[in-house]
Amino acid sequence: METGTGTGTTRAQHRFFILCVAPSLAVLALITLLPSLYLLATSFTPLSLTRPETLWDFSTPLENYSHLLQDSRLHNSVWVQIKLSFWTVLLQLLIGLALALLLNIRSRLLEALRTVFLIPMVLPPIVVAIIWKVIYTPDISPLHGLLGLLGWNVPALITDPDWALTAIIIADTWEWFPFTMLMVLAALQMMPQELLDAAKVDGASPWQLTWHITLPFIKGVLLVAGLFRLIDSIKAFPLIFILTEGGPGNVTEVTNYYSFLQAFNFSYLGFSSAITVALLAATVALSWLIVRLVGWGNKID
Amino acid sequence: MRGPNRRAILRSAGGASVLASGLLAAPPILAQTKSAFAGTTINASCFQTTYFEYLKAYLPEFEQKTGIKVNFTMQAFPVYNQRTDLELSTRGSALDVCNVTFIYSGRWIGAGWLTSLDSFTKDPKLTPADWAPEDFAGGPQSAMQNAKGETFGFTWEAGAMILAAARYDLIEKQGLGLPRTFDELIKVCDAVHNKDNVAAFTADKLHHWNWIPYLMGVGGNVFKAPPENLTPTLDTPEAAQSAEWYANLLTKYGPDGILSYSDDQSMRSQMSGRANIRTQAITWMVPLAKHAESTVQKTVRYGLMPEGPKGNFPGSNSHGLGIPAGSRKKEAAWEFIKWALSKETVSMIVKNHGYPSVCRLSVINGPEFKQVLTLNGQDVASLFLEVLQLGGKTGYMKYRTVPVYPQVGDKINKAMERVATRQQAAPAAFKQAQTEALQDLQKAGIKVDL
Repeated sequence: METGTGTGTTRAQHRFFILCVAPSLAVLALITLLPSLYLLATSFTPLSLTRPETLWDFSTPLENYSHLLQDSRLHNSVWVQIKLSFWTVLLQLLIGLALALLLNIRSRLLEALRTVFLIPMVLPPIVVAIIWKVIYTPDISPLHGLLGLLGWNVPALITDPDWALTAIIIADTWEWFPFTMLMVLAALQMMPQELLDAAKVDGASPWQLTWHITLPFIKGVLLVAGLFRLIDSIKAFPLIFILTEGGPGNVTEVTNYYSFLQAFNFSYLGFSSAITVALLAATVALSWLIVRLVGWGNKID
Repeated sequence: MRGPNRRAILRSAGGASVLASGLLAAPPILAQTKSAFAGTTINASCFQTTYFEYLKAYLPEFEQKTGIKVNFTMQAFPVYNQRTDLELSTRGSALDVCNVTFIYSGRWIGAGWLTSLDSFTKDPKLTPADWAPEDFAGGPQSAMQNAKGETFGFTWEAGAMILAAARYDLIEKQGLGLPRTFDELIKVCDAVHNKDNVAAFTADKLHHWNWIPYLMGVGGNVFKAPPENLTPTLDTPEAAQSAEWYANLLTKYGPDGILSYSDDQSMRSQMSGRANIRTQAITWMVPLAKHAESTVQKTVRYGLMPEGPKGNFPGSNSHGLGIPAGSRKKEAAWEFIKWALSKETVSMIVKNHGYPSVCRLSVINGPEFKQVLTLNGQDVASLFLEVLQLGGKTGYMKYRTVPVYPQVGDKINKAMERVATRQQAAPAAFKQAQTEALQDLQKAGIKVDL
């Protein structure tokens, strides 16, 4: 009897909780799910702003997706995206991790230095893009000016097809390595000191401490930071918009930027939606795969 | 009861006559509109431009006369176009007056997103005869009309492409003059490049505007027969040859980084004396002689766009003011357009600010305009008129007002960048541009010859 009453109370509580969160869930669904569903629906139409009759035209629902397969410029943009994401995520993780390990010491100077390192991340992305535009424009660039004084005439990186993507990677890495650094620093400061002390008692060298204790401890944080940066790199926009507009030619044209062009410069909203849906699916699949392969980090014994 | 005495009659007669003379002195339309529109607020928008920067200073005058409050906003050119494109497509009422951008005019007019202004201009109650719609130069104005000849905008700017040599002194030193042909342009660039650390040529990255006069000069075109036949003609030998030539002009004689130059950067490179020759719309050229920051005020000289073996095709364009189809305050919007583009206002902007690229013929032909555009002793006003007339005569600028030009223009820009950075040879780059343009036109539902 008691159990039955208990179960009944639990169920009632459960129903009450559901009722409490239902309005929030409904608002959340309205804000996130509906636009996504609308995006999915438009991807099945040839919607073009100049032809309003195409809004609910589902007569050839897979046409946009078949265009995706034939569009060589889109395929190129995916390859550019892969290169950009790979290098920016890798460099941001390595630099962020290295700096976090170096700065994980209690000292006033290093604490001030940590704040300085955070500046790029808190600047508005457009400001970051403008800073790098100045750096990369030879006739107004302090960098080019300095190199010129030393007798090195470096060509404009953002208009050189061999360097343009590298220029974007450098700027993006500068902007976002502090994110990894911050996350790793937070994790390091939560690491139990006794783990390190025990290892030291066992005679572990600093390198062994880092490799066998610190890195396994922050592995999960690194994975989360990497995932965040990966997803964000797929959304790369301001740097490309301001610095290169996808050029020269299509050297820095990532998929996200190509989708923007299709929607807002050419009015092909249906096709742009199809690109975005494919991009979203790829991002989700990639994130899932990474989590499956790497795991969320192991507890240290 | 006492009747009105003589003094009272005289006083009231005097008051009435003062009032009557005041009413007669005020423009009839403004007198009528003050009460009709009192308390109305309209939203107007344009891309960032000096004409409206100057005009904004006079807005209180308009607001006081008509009772219409104007919220006027300006954005960067691409931002304005994207926002307005979206806004117009929804047929929303957020805007009452908008700039009708040249490259979008065909698209916006064709899609029915703008209001025909004929009903306003043909109604004498709404537009006095002396406002004179026919006073707007025909070439620029043609971009504001549809195939039936209905008008959807009135032009406030006519961009006429001319040549400016910021450091003409360097050219003179070599015993040469302003280049009049494509061959002479190369000869002059060869002679003056990097003399005194000045690059011989500069341009911005809008190749689908800057390059086309050079393409037409050798007999090429963007489309087969715009606006009727929009089959792209980018894979022709003329296009490949001209693209190679133009890419060489940019990379061999331009400053480092020229391929990333915006309009403004390119102008600044001339103003600061770092680059010499540019072929671009007059709006970007006049500041070389007039801007306080210009270091080349005394050395700049102007000429017509050089001509090719097949003739001279300087670019001309125009921007106008129109009323979105979704506006709920169309009459108030028309009051604003009427005032902003009246002979008096345009003349005032020219006189007080030296604005160079206006479209009212009565102002262009007036002594003030000529005086304002006499730069270093040169009659630049005549050059301006000559270009406008060239564009109006044969209609070779029609290619640029077709609804799909933004898409095709993008392909041209990308192809030119690939050629200039040696990623592809010109024939291959423009063959690719042709293929991509064809795909895009088919996507837009345009019939093309295959």
